[in-house]
Amino acid sequence: MSESLTLGSHLTIWIEAFVTLALFSFLYKDNPIYKFIEHVFAGLSAGYYAGLIGQSVIYPQLLDPLYSDFGGNWILLIPFGFGMMMLTRLTPIGPIPDLSWMSRWGLAITIGSTAGIFLISQLHGLVMPQTLDTFASFGRAGNTVEFAMAILTLVGVISTLVYFYFSKEHVGVIGRVAKVGIWFIMVAFGAQFGYTVMGRVSLLIGRMTFLIDKWIVGSMGSMFN
Amino acid sequence: MSENLRPMGFWEKVSKLDRRWIYSAVAITVIIPLIWRIDFPVGITPEAKQLFDAVEALPDGSTVMLTFDYYASALPETEPASRAALHHLFRKNCKVVTMTTIPLGGPTISERVTRDMAKLYDKVYGIDYVNLGYKANYVAVLSGMGSSIEDIYPADNSGTKLADLPIIQNIKNYDDIDFIFVVADNAIVDYWISIVNAQYNTPVGASVTAVSAPKYYPLVTSGQMTGLLGGMKGAAEYEIMVGKEAAAVKGMSVQSLVHFLIILMVIMGNVGYFVSRKKKPQAA
Repeated sequence: MSESLTLGSHLTIWIEAFVTLALFSFLYKDNPIYKFIEHVFAGLSAGYYAGLIGQSVIYPQLLDPLYSDFGGNWILLIPFGFGMMMLTRLTPIGPIPDLSWMSRWGLAITIGSTAGIFLISQLHGLVMPQTLDTFASFGRAGNTVEFAMAILTLVGVISTLVYFYFSKEHVGVIGRVAKVGIWFIMVAFGAQFGYTVMGRVSLLIGRMTFLIDKWIVGSMGSMFN
Repeated sequence: MSENLRPMGFWEKVSKLDRRWIYSAVAITVIIPLIWRIDFPVGITPEAKQLFDAVEALPDGSTVMLTFDYYASALPETEPASRAALHHLFRKNCKVVTMTTIPLGGPTISERVTRDMAKLYDKVYGIDYVNLGYKANYVAVLSGMGSSIEDIYPADNSGTKLADLPIIQNIKNYDDIDFIFVVADNAIVDYWISIVNAQYNTPVGASVTAVSAPKYYPLVTSGQMTGLLGGMKGAAEYEIMVGKEAAAVKGMSVQSLVHFLIILMVIMGNVGYFVSRKKKPQAA
């Protein structure tokens, strides 16, 4: 790393290194420094998020259009009104009586529209194509191995679905198929666990790379050379 | 000697090992190869090759949307993928539209990474690339851009009106986007597929964190997703394919050693457990 790091860069790197080590200290045991950094992170995140929403949503998509062309954009006052109703959850405050019931209107619109969009998009975009592909894989199979894989996939899908079918007791044929489903679920969990380990180790590598390359070699190295 | 006072054997000690020794062993295994580099080969998976080939097949000058749908906490897995993708896209003179659905870090990371990479290829902001930044409510954002990107993002990440940027003159909605390259650390990929790919037929390829990768392989098989990079390994594969080996390839050598250590610990832990159980006296 170059020696041209500015004082500000040094300071940034040292703060980042301190925060990283403070969070790692939890691995030894819980301690006040860890708690302090945890609270700083929560506070910073909340403040940053509030500012970002103001800058990226409230100003460009509400205040600016209303200010520049109120007549053409007055309809924005309706979602703004519902948004303000959400804040009534904070009542009662001082002289303002309890108006929290009003927040349910805004929530109802949000939940209703989100559920409607998700229901259609998930069915149309994920459930149906995946169901069709479970069978389409037979048509694509070009050799014995691919055909065997298609059968394995079909058996896996059906037995796993049977495992999650709770309207009938898991005995007899249903019980045996559900048991096969458990094996498929276990294999899926194993793959998930392996990937999770890789993901977590990646994060550790990222932090260690920062500590060695930027903090020790970069910042400390340029300070003591 | 009573059972409680009996000295512990090796396997019993292993099965009762303080977790902090394990953390220390993992830390040392990560640090050593970062100081003295050890190289391990990284194989290319068919899903990663498929993504690379799809981008490679785009005509020069195509418009590609590159998303930065990840928090700062996932940087080691995702940033190398974003950088490798930008190497590929800028090299092909693609017009790059970046955006994020992540409030904390997303806008800053996309700005920093894209400007860094643009400098390497002499790309000009507003002409060759644009950073739309963050907008709340990803469902509304993803759906709305199907009608008009400008309605959702009246201004870019820096507050410049989109109408003032030359690159946007020919990009109105998904019809004008040739490929969407999603880099994500969460389930947003589901919505890029179920909302954008399914409804607007825009091809979507993704680089995701390792934790979420297993979920998306079936989407590649079904053809809903054009290629997939899983975690740091996927990013390393893309770095190799674009010929720009960097942080992910370096990290994968460390990964290999840590995985070896973890496998060893899983075996030792299980042997320790079974040996201890065998030695335990049967209840009367």
